[in-house]
Amino acid sequence: MAGLIHRLAELRASEERGILFTAVEGPAVGTKVLVLESGERIGEGLDEAVERFDELIRRARNRLLELSDGSKVFAEWYGPAPRLFVYGAVDTAEALCRGAKLLGWRTIVADARAKFATPERIPSADELVVEWPQEALARVAPDHQTAIVVLTHDDKFDEPALIGALQTDAFYIGALGSRRNQERRRERLLEAGVDEEALERIMGPCGLDIGAETQEETALSILAEIVAVRAGREGGFLKNARQRIHAEVE
Amino acid sequence: MKEILPEIERWKEEGEQVVVATVVATRRSAPRPVGASLAISESGKMCGSVSGGCVESDVFEHAQEVLATGEPKLLTYGISDDEAWSVGLPCGGEIDVFVERVE
Repeated sequence: MAGLIHRLAELRASEERGILFTAVEGPAVGTKVLVLESGERIGEGLDEAVERFDELIRRARNRLLELSDGSKVFAEWYGPAPRLFVYGAVDTAEALCRGAKLLGWRTIVADARAKFATPERIPSADELVVEWPQEALARVAPDHQTAIVVLTHDDKFDEPALIGALQTDAFYIGALGSRRNQERRRERLLEAGVDEEALERIMGPCGLDIGAETQEETALSILAEIVAVRAGREGGFLKNARQRIHAEVE
Repeated sequence: MKEILPEIERWKEEGEQVVVATVVATRRSAPRPVGASLAISESGKMCGSVSGGCVESDVFEHAQEVLATGEPKLLTYGISDDEAWSVGLPCGGEIDVFVERVE
């Protein structure tokens, strides 16, 4: 396991994702298999657990698996922090990035307007991209650990940004805007050839219903919604909730 | 184990045997999330945690055995009972802790 420990330490410091499977109960107890998203594999066995790699890597949580023979395998998730990609370098973008940094996420803000996407305006963005939506999305390449929020309030940016976002694997796609604007945008996206089912992925207006007024409160509302979506929760008061407080493990 | 890998690697490089205890499951409330881990070296160095200090001393005892035999163990801790010396979780939850020697 010494070689494995070294590989795990490397993995932890890299941008790669992987899962370390460890048999904790049953005949194979102590067996370890490391599988990386790139396909690299260290160790043999635990096939039934390893088969669930794709589902587990997307869930981005540590989890105890129970196999058909009753034995148990612990799956430890390795990977970089989630990314927040914001299109629209408006004030809310800075508040969103500031909040996301607090959560340990990496932040990217893009806008076609060079005057908007500046480090003076958005100091909390790890990366600023001055490009139109399609080009920015191609550069950033959102994957299943990326949340996308579209903030420009301008159809000529918002629409291509949303159409592009729907073609990615992003775990969250949110759009600001009034209910009236959402309805109008919905119709325009349908006209542009986006199908109804795909449109269901868009959270718009984005955010939890916490009565947000300021930019910071709006950011909190959106970030809380992103966390809830990631954990498969609805949001709401814990006091009224019937399930366990922390994210479900199995 | 993710959070304490640098320490584990360092202790191994220094030639020490290391035991790692990891929270692999929690039921109801629990002080630390699934994946939280504690490393214990042969010379008694410790790093990380599996609870809020509630069960670490008992895990440490089991770790000595795992260190000696190399046989991993799956431990379960629940609510502390009435006996003052028993080990348990005051929050009313239950945790499973896997203890293994780093080979």
